[in-house]
Amino acid sequence: MEPLKKEITAACPEVDFSKAREMASYLTEPRAMYVGAPGKHGYLRMVFELDKDKKSILRDLDRRVPIIVQQALYFDEEMPGMPCVYILSSGGPNIDGDRYQQDIKVCKDAYAFVSTGAATKLAEMKYNYSGMIQHLTLEENAYLEFLPEPIIPCKHTRFISDTTLNVHPTATVVYAEIYMPGRKYYRNGELFEYDVLSVCSHGQRPDGTQLFREKFVICPDKINPRMLGVMASFDVFANVIVMTPADKAKIIYDKTPAYLDKKKKIATGITYLPNNAGLLFKVLGMEPGPVKKIVRQFCSSVRQEIKGVPIPEEFPWR
Amino acid sequence: MSLPNDMIRLMRLIEFSDSAFPVGTFSFSNSLETASFEGIVYDKNTLHEFTQAQALQAAFSDGVAALHAFRAVQNNDYTAVTHIDRFLFNFKMNTEARLMNCRMGKKLGELTVRLFPGTIIDKWLNDIKSQVTPGMYPIGQGLVFAIAGIGEKELFCSHQYGVVNMVVSAALRCVKVSHYDTQEILFSLSDEVERLYQEVSSLSLEDMNAFYPQLDILASLHEKGNMRMFMN
Repeated sequence: MEPLKKEITAACPEVDFSKAREMASYLTEPRAMYVGAPGKHGYLRMVFELDKDKKSILRDLDRRVPIIVQQALYFDEEMPGMPCVYILSSGGPNIDGDRYQQDIKVCKDAYAFVSTGAATKLAEMKYNYSGMIQHLTLEENAYLEFLPEPIIPCKHTRFISDTTLNVHPTATVVYAEIYMPGRKYYRNGELFEYDVLSVCSHGQRPDGTQLFREKFVICPDKINPRMLGVMASFDVFANVIVMTPADKAKIIYDKTPAYLDKKKKIATGITYLPNNAGLLFKVLGMEPGPVKKIVRQFCSSVRQEIKGVPIPEEFPWR
Repeated sequence: MSLPNDMIRLMRLIEFSDSAFPVGTFSFSNSLETASFEGIVYDKNTLHEFTQAQALQAAFSDGVAALHAFRAVQNNDYTAVTHIDRFLFNFKMNTEARLMNCRMGKKLGELTVRLFPGTIIDKWLNDIKSQVTPGMYPIGQGLVFAIAGIGEKELFCSHQYGVVNMVVSAALRCVKVSHYDTQEILFSLSDEVERLYQEVSSLSLEDMNAFYPQLDILASLHEKGNMRMFMN
C-alpha cells in the first residue's frame, strides 16, 4: 500500500528529529494520518507578564490542536496572584507520528505555574515516533514552576524530546519530568517494553552561553533498565532541573537531603548543575504517588526560598 | 614529530593505561563506596553488574569525547579540542564526576607536558590553569594518545580499561571480593569493548547520552555523606 499523500500540514513550526540517531529506525510514514497532518501537530505558545497592576497574567496564548489551554486560573492559595495553567490534549495519548512544540515565556518579574491535566500517555507505535520541542524562556527575575503529571510510555513507544531552558541569571525555573516504566498494572504489567525514550534538556543564558546539557536515551532492548546503576529494582523516575541564582541554589542544596529508604523503596539525590546554573534533583520510587509527593515537596522548598511561601497541599483528586 | 615504532607505541599504551600512572585514579571509587555501604554491591556478581554500568555510562559520554578530541588533534584543530572539553564538562551532570574529571585531567596535563614538551598539551595545560578550558580527563587522553601516535581503538580500550580498573581496584578496599574476582570481572568486561567501540565511534558529541539514575543518586549520597575513604 502506498503511503498517504501529504496534502495539508498544520501551520506550526516544524518538529523534525529524523537526524537523531536513535530515531533512525522509526521514520516510516504512518499508515493512518501522516506526519504533520492537522490534529497531529500540536503547538502552544504562552507568554506570561505583569499587567499594569503588577498582576502576573497569561498575556499571549496561541494553540493548535490537539493541544488545549483554555485560560489561566488563580487557584494557588499561597500565591493567589499566580496564573496556573493546565495543558490538555484533545487527542488523548501521543500517537504514531505526532509532533508537538511548546514555547513558554515568562517576562521580567512575572511568575506562573504550568502542569498537565492528566498523565501523558505515549501510545503503542508501529511506524514512526512522537517528538516534542520545548522552549522555556525566563527573563529577569521571572519564576516558573513546570510540574506536569507523569509520562507513561506504552509498549513499542518511541518518544523524543528536546527542551531548551533559556534563563536569565536572576530568574528561577523548576522543570520536572516523571517517567513511568509503562502501564504497570495493565494486564500482567507492561514494564520497560517501549522501544526508545530520548530526552534532552539543555540550559543556556539569554546571550547564548551554554550551561549544561543532559541527554538520556533509554532503549530497554539494548541496555536493561533493571541493571544496577540504571533503575535496578525501581519503577518510577523523576528528574527535576532547577535553574536559579547560585546563592539560592546553595541554600536549597543544603536543606535537601539525599537518601535511600530501603523500606519505602524510595531514593533521592541532589547535585549542582555545571557552571553555577542551579540544581539537579532525582527521585527513584515504585509508584507515581510517592514520587510526585517528593518532587512537590522539593519544589515547595524552592518556592519557599525564592518567593517566601510553600506550595499548598496537592488537590486530593490529582 | 615522527611516529615511534610499534613496540614503543605498545610500551606507551601500557604506561598510559597502567593504574600506577599518577593521575589520581586510586582516589576515586565512582560511587562504589556508597553502593557498598548501602548493600547494593556486596559480592562478585553485584560488583560485575555495577562495574558494567559504569563502563557503559563512560563509553557513551567520556568515550565519545575522547575519540573526538583525538581526531581534533589529528586535524590540528585546537579550537575543536576546547569545544569538546567544554561540551563534556557541560554534560557531566553531577559535581563529583566533574571534579574527578577535572582533577585527573589537570594531573594528566602536568605529567604529559614533561613527556611531550612543545606540543598541544602545553597550550591545553596553560588554558586549564587560566580557566579557559575545564581540562576533562578524557580530552587529555585523546590528546596524549594522538601525540604519542597510538591509534584511536587503543585509546578507547585504554579509556574503558581505566574505568573498569578504577572500580574493581576500589572494590578491593570496600567490597568483600578477592583479587581473583576483580581480575575475572576485568577479563570478562573486556569482551565487550569491540562491540562498544563499533557503537560509539560514529557518535557525534550531540549523541552523547547517559541514563544511570541510581548511579547519580549514589554519587549524591557520597557527595552529601561522611564517608571519605575515597575523594569527592
